Amino acid sequence: MKRDLISIEDLSEKHLRDYLALGRRVDDMSPDACRQILAGKILGVLFYEPSTRTRLSFEAAMLRMGGQVIGFSEALNTSVAKGESLADTIHTVEQYCDAIVIRHPREGAARLAAEVSRVPVINAGDGANQHPTQTLLDLYTLQNLFGRVDGLRVALVGDLKYSRTVHSLFHALARFKDVRFRFVSPETLKMPEYVIEATEGSAVEVRETTSLEEAIAECDVVYMTRIQRERFPDPVEYEKVKDAYRLDRATLQHAPTHLKVMHPLPRVNEIATDVDSTHHAAYFPQAGYGMVMRQGILAHLLGAKI
Amino acid sequence: MSPEQILLIPKIENGFVLDHIPAGSGVKILNLIRGQHELNDAVLSVGLHYTSRRLGRKDLIKIQCRELPQRFLQHLSLVVPGVTIKRVEKFAIAQKIVLEPPELVDNLLSCPNPGCITNHERGVTTCFHLVRREPMKFRCNHCERWFAMAELENRLKL
Repeated sequence: MKRDLISIEDLSEKHLRDYLALGRRVDDMSPDACRQILAGKILGVLFYEPSTRTRLSFEAAMLRMGGQVIGFSEALNTSVAKGESLADTIHTVEQYCDAIVIRHPREGAARLAAEVSRVPVINAGDGANQHPTQTLLDLYTLQNLFGRVDGLRVALVGDLKYSRTVHSLFHALARFKDVRFRFVSPETLKMPEYVIEATEGSAVEVRETTSLEEAIAECDVVYMTRIQRERFPDPVEYEKVKDAYRLDRATLQHAPTHLKVMHPLPRVNEIATDVDSTHHAAYFPQAGYGMVMRQGILAHLLGAKI
Repeated sequence: MSPEQILLIPKIENGFVLDHIPAGSGVKILNLIRGQHELNDAVLSVGLHYTSRRLGRKDLIKIQCRELPQRFLQHLSLVVPGVTIKRVEKFAIAQKIVLEPPELVDNLLSCPNPGCITNHERGVTTCFHLVRREPMKFRCNHCERWFAMAELENRLKL
Protein backbone atom coordinates (compact mmCIF):
# COMPACT_ATOMS: atom_id res chain seq x y z
CA MET A 1 0.00 0.00 0.00
CA LYS A 2 1.17 3.53 -0.80
CA ARG A 3 2.54 5.46 2.17
CA ASP A 4 2.16 9.24 2.57
CA LEU A 5 3.20 11.74 5.24
CA ILE A 6 0.51 14.42 5.41
CA SER A 7 -0.19 15.30 9.04
CA ILE A 8 1.25 14.67 12.49
CA GLU A 9 -2.35 13.91 13.50
CA ASP A 10 -2.08 10.69 11.45
CA LEU A 11 0.88 9.42 13.51
CA SER A 12 0.64 7.51 16.77
CA GLU A 13 3.26 7.61 19.53
CA LYS A 14 4.73 4.39 18.07
CA HIS A 15 4.99 5.92 14.57
CA LEU A 16 6.82 8.91 16.06
CA ARG A 17 9.26 6.70 17.98
CA ASP A 18 9.83 4.58 14.85
CA TYR A 19 10.74 7.71 12.89
CA LEU A 20 13.23 8.71 15.62
CA ALA A 21 14.86 5.28 15.44
CA LEU A 22 14.96 5.54 11.65
CA GLY A 23 16.76 8.91 11.87
CA ARG A 24 19.33 7.32 14.17
CA ARG A 25 19.98 4.49 11.68
CA VAL A 26 20.44 6.99 8.82
CA ASP A 27 22.89 9.00 10.96
CA ASP A 28 24.91 5.84 11.64
CA MET A 29 25.29 4.89 7.97
CA SER A 30 28.46 5.51 5.97
CA PRO A 31 28.09 8.01 3.08
CA ASP A 32 28.87 5.22 0.57
CA ALA A 33 26.17 2.90 1.92
CA CYS A 34 23.75 5.81 2.03
CA ARG A 35 24.27 6.59 -1.67
CA GLN A 36 22.86 3.18 -2.64
CA ILE A 37 19.53 3.46 -0.81
CA LEU A 38 17.50 5.43 -3.35
CA ALA A 39 19.72 5.02 -6.43
CA GLY A 40 17.60 5.27 -9.58
CA LYS A 41 14.68 6.96 -7.80
CA ILE A 42 13.39 10.42 -8.70
CA LEU A 43 11.77 12.87 -6.28
CA GLY A 44 9.31 15.50 -7.57
CA VAL A 45 9.60 18.70 -5.53
CA LEU A 46 6.56 20.95 -6.03
CA PHE A 47 6.97 24.19 -4.11
CA TYR A 48 4.14 26.65 -4.71
CA GLU A 49 5.55 28.88 -1.95
CA PRO A 50 9.08 30.07 -1.11
CA SER A 51 11.28 27.93 1.11
CA THR A 52 14.98 27.65 1.83
CA ARG A 53 15.64 24.97 4.41
CA THR A 54 12.79 22.61 3.66
CA ARG A 55 13.31 22.45 -0.11
CA LEU A 56 17.11 22.34 0.03
CA SER A 57 17.18 19.74 2.78
CA PHE A 58 14.76 17.50 0.86
CA GLU A 59 16.87 17.85 -2.26
CA ALA A 60 20.09 17.23 -0.33
CA ALA A 61 18.50 14.22 1.39
CA MET A 62 17.53 12.69 -1.96
CA LEU A 63 20.93 13.36 -3.55
CA ARG A 64 22.82 11.92 -0.57
CA MET A 65 20.85 8.71 -0.94
CA GLY A 66 21.75 8.39 -4.60
CA GLY A 67 18.42 9.65 -5.98
CA GLN A 68 17.63 12.57 -8.26
CA VAL A 69 15.32 15.55 -8.04
CA ILE A 70 12.99 17.37 -10.43
CA GLY A 71 10.50 20.13 -9.67
CA PHE A 72 9.82 23.82 -9.30
CA SER A 73 10.31 26.33 -6.51
CA GLU A 74 7.58 28.78 -7.48
CA ALA A 75 4.41 28.21 -9.48
CA LEU A 76 4.63 31.30 -11.72
CA ASN A 77 6.49 29.63 -14.60
CA THR A 78 4.40 26.45 -14.61
CA SER A 79 1.01 25.37 -15.95
CA VAL A 80 -0.44 26.36 -12.58
CA ALA A 81 -0.21 29.98 -13.75
CA LYS A 82 -2.39 28.95 -16.73
CA GLY A 83 -5.08 27.69 -14.37
CA GLU A 84 -4.18 24.00 -14.12
CA SER A 85 -5.81 22.29 -11.16
CA LEU A 86 -3.70 20.74 -8.42
CA ALA A 87 -5.13 17.30 -9.22
CA ASP A 88 -4.06 17.59 -12.87
CA THR A 89 -0.56 18.74 -11.87
CA ILE A 90 -0.22 15.73 -9.56
CA HIS A 91 -1.53 13.31 -12.23
CA THR A 92 1.12 14.66 -14.58
CA VAL A 93 4.08 14.79 -12.20
CA GLU A 94 3.43 11.28 -10.87
CA GLN A 95 4.24 10.01 -14.37
CA TYR A 96 7.81 11.31 -13.97
CA CYS A 97 8.80 10.50 -10.42
CA ASP A 98 8.65 7.97 -7.56
CA ALA A 99 7.54 10.33 -4.78
CA ILE A 100 6.26 13.90 -4.48
CA VAL A 101 7.08 16.59 -1.92
CA ILE A 102 4.59 19.46 -1.95
CA ARG A 103 4.38 22.88 -0.31
CA HIS A 104 1.20 24.79 -1.09
CA PRO A 105 -0.51 27.91 0.32
CA ARG A 106 -3.92 26.20 0.61
CA GLU A 107 -4.73 24.15 3.71
CA GLY A 108 -5.42 20.52 2.84
CA ALA A 109 -3.56 20.68 -0.49
CA ALA A 110 -1.17 17.87 0.45
CA ARG A 111 -4.08 15.67 1.60
CA LEU A 112 -5.81 16.24 -1.73
CA ALA A 113 -2.57 15.50 -3.60
CA ALA A 114 -2.22 12.22 -1.67
CA GLU A 115 -5.81 11.27 -2.52
CA VAL A 116 -5.22 11.55 -6.25
CA SER A 117 -1.57 10.41 -6.46
CA ARG A 118 -0.44 6.83 -7.00
CA VAL A 119 3.08 7.69 -5.67
CA PRO A 120 3.84 8.67 -2.04
CA VAL A 121 3.17 12.31 -1.13
CA ILE A 122 5.00 14.25 1.59
CA ASN A 123 3.53 17.45 3.00
CA ALA A 124 6.18 20.17 3.20
CA GLY A 125 3.67 22.72 4.50
CA ASP A 126 0.03 23.39 3.58
CA GLY A 127 -0.92 26.98 4.44
CA ALA A 128 -1.35 27.45 8.18
CA ASN A 129 -2.19 23.78 8.71
CA GLN A 130 0.61 21.19 8.90
CA HIS A 131 4.35 20.83 8.42
CA PRO A 132 4.94 17.27 9.68
CA THR A 133 8.57 16.86 8.57
CA GLN A 134 9.47 19.95 10.61
CA THR A 135 7.87 18.33 13.64
CA LEU A 136 9.72 15.06 13.10
CA LEU A 137 13.05 16.87 12.77
CA ASP A 138 12.28 18.86 15.93
CA LEU A 139 11.63 15.61 17.80
CA TYR A 140 14.81 14.10 16.37
CA THR A 141 16.76 17.17 17.49
CA LEU A 142 15.40 16.81 21.04
CA GLN A 143 16.28 13.10 21.01
CA ASN A 144 19.85 13.96 19.99
CA LEU A 145 20.26 16.86 22.42
CA PHE A 146 18.88 15.07 25.49
CA GLY A 147 18.94 11.37 24.60
CA ARG A 148 15.16 11.29 25.16
CA VAL A 149 11.94 13.14 24.49
CA ASP A 150 9.96 11.79 27.46
CA GLY A 151 9.96 13.95 30.57
CA LEU A 152 11.28 17.13 28.92
CA ARG A 153 10.12 20.58 30.00
CA VAL A 154 9.51 22.58 26.85
CA ALA A 155 8.80 26.31 26.53
CA LEU A 156 7.07 27.34 23.33
CA VAL A 157 7.71 31.06 22.80
CA GLY A 158 6.37 33.82 20.57
CA ASP A 159 3.60 33.40 18.03
CA LEU A 160 1.60 30.52 19.44
CA LYS A 161 -1.55 31.62 17.62
CA TYR A 162 -0.56 31.40 13.97
CA SER A 163 2.53 29.13 14.02
CA ARG A 164 1.67 25.75 12.47
CA THR A 165 5.13 24.52 13.58
CA VAL A 166 4.27 25.12 17.21
CA HIS A 167 0.81 23.55 16.93
CA SER A 168 2.15 20.35 15.36
CA LEU A 169 5.09 20.14 17.77
CA PHE A 170 2.77 20.56 20.75
CA HIS A 171 0.47 17.78 19.50
CA ALA A 172 3.39 15.46 18.81
CA LEU A 173 5.10 16.08 22.16
CA ALA A 174 1.79 15.56 23.98
CA ARG A 175 1.95 11.91 22.85
CA PHE A 176 5.23 11.33 24.72
CA LYS A 177 5.39 10.64 28.43
CA ASP A 178 5.42 13.41 31.06
CA VAL A 179 6.34 16.26 28.72
CA ARG A 180 5.48 19.54 30.46
CA PHE A 181 4.83 22.79 28.60
CA ARG A 182 5.22 26.50 29.24
CA PHE A 183 3.44 28.67 26.70
CA VAL A 184 5.10 32.09 26.49
CA SER A 185 3.35 34.63 24.31
CA PRO A 186 1.78 38.08 24.20
CA GLU A 187 -1.90 38.04 25.12
CA THR A 188 -2.92 38.52 21.46
CA LEU A 189 -0.85 35.55 20.24
CA LYS A 190 -1.88 32.94 22.81
CA MET A 191 -2.21 29.27 21.90
CA PRO A 192 -5.74 28.85 20.45
CA GLU A 193 -8.21 26.85 22.50
CA TYR A 194 -8.92 24.49 19.58
CA VAL A 195 -5.24 23.48 19.46
CA ILE A 196 -5.24 22.65 23.17
CA GLU A 197 -8.55 20.81 23.10
CA ALA A 198 -7.28 18.53 20.31
CA THR A 199 -4.92 16.91 22.86
CA GLU A 200 -7.87 15.72 24.97
CA GLY A 201 -7.10 12.32 26.37
CA SER A 202 -3.39 13.05 26.82
CA ALA A 203 -2.16 13.90 30.31
CA VAL A 204 -0.63 17.21 29.31
CA GLU A 205 0.61 19.78 31.83
CA VAL A 206 0.43 23.28 30.39
CA ARG A 207 1.19 26.59 32.08
CA GLU A 208 0.82 29.90 30.33
CA THR A 209 3.02 32.88 31.13
CA THR A 210 4.16 36.11 29.53
CA SER A 211 7.62 35.90 31.16
CA LEU A 212 10.41 34.46 29.04
CA GLU A 213 12.82 34.64 32.01
CA GLU A 214 10.54 32.41 34.08
CA ALA A 215 10.41 29.83 31.28
CA ILE A 216 14.18 29.88 30.83
CA ALA A 217 14.69 29.15 34.51
CA GLU A 218 12.23 26.25 34.55
CA CYS A 219 12.70 24.46 31.21
CA ASP A 220 15.10 22.18 29.34
CA VAL A 221 14.27 23.64 25.94
CA VAL A 222 13.18 27.05 24.75
CA TYR A 223 11.57 26.77 21.33
CA MET A 224 11.52 30.26 19.81
CA THR A 225 9.32 31.27 16.88
CA ARG A 226 9.30 34.17 14.49
CA ILE A 227 6.31 36.47 14.77
CA GLN A 228 5.12 36.21 11.19
CA ARG A 229 4.24 39.56 9.63
CA GLU A 230 2.37 37.87 6.76
CA ARG A 231 -0.16 36.27 9.15
CA PHE A 232 -1.39 39.60 10.60
CA PRO A 233 -4.47 41.11 8.98
CA ASP A 234 -3.68 44.42 10.72
CA PRO A 235 -0.08 45.78 10.44
CA VAL A 236 -0.61 47.92 13.56
CA GLU A 237 -1.20 44.77 15.61
CA TYR A 238 2.03 43.30 14.18
CA GLU A 239 4.03 46.38 15.19
CA LYS A 240 2.74 46.04 18.77
CA VAL A 241 4.08 42.52 19.26
CA LYS A 242 6.86 42.02 16.71
CA ASP A 243 9.66 42.36 19.26
CA ALA A 244 7.77 41.00 22.27
CA TYR A 245 10.38 38.31 22.97
CA ARG A 246 14.03 38.77 22.21
CA LEU A 247 16.56 36.27 23.43
CA ASP A 248 20.17 37.42 23.78
CA ARG A 249 23.29 36.37 25.64
CA ALA A 250 22.37 38.54 28.64
CA THR A 251 18.92 36.90 28.96
CA LEU A 252 20.63 33.51 29.07
CA GLN A 253 23.12 34.52 31.76
CA HIS A 254 21.23 32.73 34.53
CA ALA A 255 19.92 29.89 32.39
CA PRO A 256 20.52 26.30 33.52
CA THR A 257 23.66 24.90 31.87
CA HIS A 258 21.76 22.20 30.00
CA LEU A 259 19.17 24.61 28.49
CA LYS A 260 18.95 24.44 24.69
CA VAL A 261 17.45 27.02 22.35
CA MET A 262 15.68 25.80 19.21
CA HIS A 263 14.07 27.71 16.33
CA PRO A 264 12.55 26.47 13.06
CA LEU A 265 14.28 29.39 11.24
CA PRO A 266 14.35 31.85 9.56
CA ARG A 267 14.79 34.18 12.53
CA VAL A 268 14.41 37.93 12.47
CA ASN A 269 15.00 39.68 15.81
CA GLU A 270 13.86 37.03 18.27
CA ILE A 271 17.32 35.51 18.79
CA ALA A 272 20.30 37.87 18.85
CA THR A 273 23.36 36.66 16.93
CA ASP A 274 25.40 36.77 20.15
CA VAL A 275 23.52 33.64 21.25
CA ASP A 276 24.91 31.67 18.28
CA SER A 277 28.28 31.06 19.90
CA THR A 278 26.85 29.92 23.26
CA HIS A 279 26.45 26.24 24.07
CA HIS A 280 22.70 26.87 24.36
CA ALA A 281 22.24 27.48 20.62
CA ALA A 282 20.85 24.39 18.90
CA TYR A 283 19.06 25.90 15.89
CA PHE A 284 21.74 25.33 13.25
CA PRO A 285 22.33 21.69 14.26
CA GLN A 286 18.50 21.43 14.23
CA ALA A 287 18.51 22.45 10.54
CA GLY A 288 21.15 19.76 9.93
CA TYR A 289 19.05 17.10 11.65
CA GLY A 290 16.33 18.14 9.22
CA MET A 291 18.21 16.64 6.33
CA VAL A 292 18.86 13.39 8.20
CA MET A 293 15.22 13.06 9.22
CA ARG A 294 14.09 13.74 5.65
CA GLN A 295 16.48 11.05 4.40
CA GLY A 296 14.76 8.64 6.76
CA ILE A 297 11.29 9.78 5.69
CA LEU A 298 12.07 9.41 1.97
CA ALA A 299 13.60 5.97 2.47
CA HIS A 300 10.63 4.81 4.54
CA LEU A 301 7.94 6.08 2.16
CA LEU A 302 9.77 4.66 -0.87
CA GLY A 303 9.99 1.27 0.81
CA ALA A 304 13.81 1.16 1.13
CA LYS A 305 15.27 -0.92 3.95
CA ILE A 306 17.62 0.80 6.38
CA MET B 1 -49.09 13.05 21.21
CA SER B 2 -51.76 14.41 23.51
CA PRO B 3 -55.42 14.68 22.33
CA GLU B 4 -55.02 18.46 22.43
CA GLN B 5 -52.09 18.25 19.99
CA ILE B 6 -54.00 15.91 17.69
CA LEU B 7 -56.59 18.65 17.40
CA LEU B 8 -53.90 21.17 16.54
CA ILE B 9 -52.30 19.03 13.83
CA PRO B 10 -54.33 16.32 12.10
CA LYS B 11 -53.40 12.64 11.86
CA ILE B 12 -51.98 11.46 8.55
CA GLU B 13 -52.86 8.22 6.79
CA ASN B 14 -49.42 7.57 5.24
CA GLY B 15 -46.11 9.36 5.52
CA PHE B 16 -43.67 10.44 8.20
CA VAL B 17 -43.82 12.29 11.51
CA LEU B 18 -40.70 14.17 12.58
CA ASP B 19 -41.02 14.43 16.36
CA HIS B 20 -38.93 15.69 19.26
CA ILE B 21 -37.60 18.61 17.23
CA PRO B 22 -36.14 21.17 19.67
CA ALA B 23 -38.33 24.29 19.59
CA GLY B 24 -37.05 26.66 16.91
CA SER B 25 -35.39 23.95 14.82
CA GLY B 26 -38.61 23.16 12.92
CA VAL B 27 -37.91 26.11 10.64
CA LYS B 28 -34.44 24.73 9.85
CA ILE B 29 -36.05 21.46 8.80
CA LEU B 30 -38.58 23.26 6.61
CA ASN B 31 -35.63 24.90 4.83
CA LEU B 32 -34.08 21.46 4.29
CA ILE B 33 -37.37 20.13 2.90
CA ARG B 34 -37.56 23.09 0.51
CA GLY B 35 -34.13 22.09 -0.85
CA GLN B 36 -35.31 18.55 -1.77
CA HIS B 37 -37.04 18.47 -5.15
CA GLU B 38 -38.41 14.96 -4.36
CA LEU B 39 -40.48 16.58 -1.60
CA ASN B 40 -41.81 19.48 -3.67
CA ASP B 41 -45.30 17.96 -3.90
CA ALA B 42 -45.47 16.53 -0.38
CA VAL B 43 -48.22 17.85 1.90
CA LEU B 44 -46.77 19.23 5.13
CA SER B 45 -48.36 19.85 8.52
CA VAL B 46 -46.29 21.93 10.89
CA GLY B 47 -46.67 22.42 14.62
CA LEU B 48 -44.43 24.84 16.48
CA HIS B 49 -43.77 25.36 20.17
CA TYR B 50 -45.78 22.47 21.59
CA THR B 51 -45.27 21.55 25.21
CA SER B 52 -43.10 18.46 25.62
CA ARG B 53 -42.26 16.41 28.70
CA ARG B 54 -38.75 15.65 27.36
CA LEU B 55 -37.81 18.96 25.74
CA GLY B 56 -40.01 21.51 27.50
CA ARG B 57 -41.04 22.89 24.11
CA LYS B 58 -40.81 21.15 20.75
CA ASP B 59 -41.71 21.45 17.08
CA LEU B 60 -43.40 18.75 15.01
CA ILE B 61 -43.63 18.19 11.25
CA LYS B 62 -45.72 15.67 9.31
CA ILE B 63 -44.81 14.89 5.72
CA GLN B 64 -47.19 13.01 3.43
CA CYS B 65 -44.90 11.19 1.01
CA ARG B 66 -43.82 7.62 0.15
CA GLU B 67 -40.11 7.93 1.03
CA LEU B 68 -37.77 10.44 2.65
CA PRO B 69 -34.77 11.08 0.36
CA GLN B 70 -31.48 9.71 1.70
CA ARG B 71 -29.74 13.06 1.31
CA PHE B 72 -32.50 14.77 3.32
CA LEU B 73 -32.00 12.25 6.16
CA GLN B 74 -28.24 12.80 6.09
CA HIS B 75 -28.67 16.57 6.26
CA LEU B 76 -31.29 16.22 8.99
CA SER B 77 -29.01 14.03 11.13
CA LEU B 78 -26.40 16.77 10.89
CA VAL B 79 -28.51 19.86 11.47
CA VAL B 80 -30.99 18.54 14.05
CA PRO B 81 -29.66 15.25 15.45
CA GLY B 82 -31.89 13.49 17.97
CA VAL B 83 -35.09 13.92 15.94
CA THR B 84 -37.46 10.94 16.10
CA ILE B 85 -38.77 9.79 12.72
CA LYS B 86 -41.98 7.74 12.71
CA ARG B 87 -43.19 6.02 9.54
CA VAL B 88 -47.00 6.06 9.42
CA GLU B 89 -48.98 3.45 7.48
CA LYS B 90 -52.78 3.51 7.55
CA PHE B 91 -52.84 5.93 10.49
CA ALA B 92 -50.59 3.66 12.62
CA ILE B 93 -46.91 3.94 13.46
CA ALA B 94 -45.12 1.20 11.47
CA GLN B 95 -41.53 2.10 12.34
CA LYS B 96 -39.69 4.52 14.63
CA ILE B 97 -36.04 5.61 14.58
CA VAL B 98 -34.01 8.27 16.39
CA LEU B 99 -31.51 10.08 14.17
CA GLU B 100 -27.96 10.00 15.56
CA PRO B 101 -25.31 12.52 14.48
CA PRO B 102 -23.19 10.96 11.70
CA GLU B 103 -19.60 9.86 12.45
CA LEU B 104 -18.61 10.69 8.89
CA VAL B 105 -20.07 13.40 6.66
CA ASP B 106 -19.23 12.50 3.09
CA ASN B 107 -19.57 15.35 0.58
CA LEU B 108 -22.63 16.91 2.26
CA LEU B 109 -20.89 20.12 3.36
CA SER B 110 -18.54 22.71 1.94
CA CYS B 111 -15.73 23.82 4.28
CA PRO B 112 -16.21 27.18 6.07
CA ASN B 113 -12.42 27.79 5.98
CA PRO B 114 -11.79 30.09 2.98
CA GLY B 115 -8.18 28.85 2.87
CA CYS B 116 -9.18 25.19 2.55
CA ILE B 117 -8.16 23.61 -0.76
CA THR B 118 -11.65 22.14 -1.19
CA ASN B 119 -12.95 25.68 -1.83
CA HIS B 120 -10.44 26.26 -4.63
CA GLU B 121 -10.28 23.02 -6.64
CA ARG B 122 -12.98 21.93 -9.06
CA GLY B 123 -14.92 18.76 -8.28
CA VAL B 124 -13.34 17.97 -4.90
CA THR B 125 -15.26 15.71 -2.53
CA THR B 126 -15.31 17.01 1.05
CA CYS B 127 -15.26 14.85 4.14
CA PHE B 128 -15.85 15.76 7.82
CA HIS B 129 -15.42 13.57 10.89
CA LEU B 130 -17.37 13.91 14.12
CA VAL B 131 -14.69 14.67 16.73
CA ARG B 132 -16.85 15.71 19.68
CA ARG B 133 -20.47 14.99 20.60
CA GLU B 134 -21.12 17.60 23.28
CA PRO B 135 -21.00 20.27 21.97
CA MET B 136 -21.02 18.68 18.53
CA LYS B 137 -17.90 19.43 16.48
CA PHE B 138 -16.69 18.19 13.11
CA ARG B 139 -13.19 18.19 11.63
CA CYS B 140 -12.51 18.85 7.95
CA ASN B 141 -10.48 15.97 6.56
CA HIS B 142 -8.47 18.36 4.37
CA CYS B 143 -7.66 21.55 6.32
CA GLU B 144 -8.09 19.72 9.70
CA ARG B 145 -9.97 22.65 11.29
CA TRP B 146 -12.67 21.87 13.85
CA PHE B 147 -16.10 23.44 13.36
CA ALA B 148 -19.14 23.73 15.59
CA MET B 149 -22.43 22.73 13.98
CA ALA B 150 -23.58 26.39 13.97
CA GLU B 151 -20.69 27.18 11.57
CA LEU B 152 -21.68 24.33 9.23
CA GLU B 153 -25.44 24.79 9.02
CA ASN B 154 -25.25 27.22 6.12
CA ARG B 155 -22.60 25.13 4.33
CA LEU B 156 -24.91 22.28 3.31
CA LYS B 157 -24.52 21.08 -0.28
CA LEU B 158 -28.21 20.77 -1.09
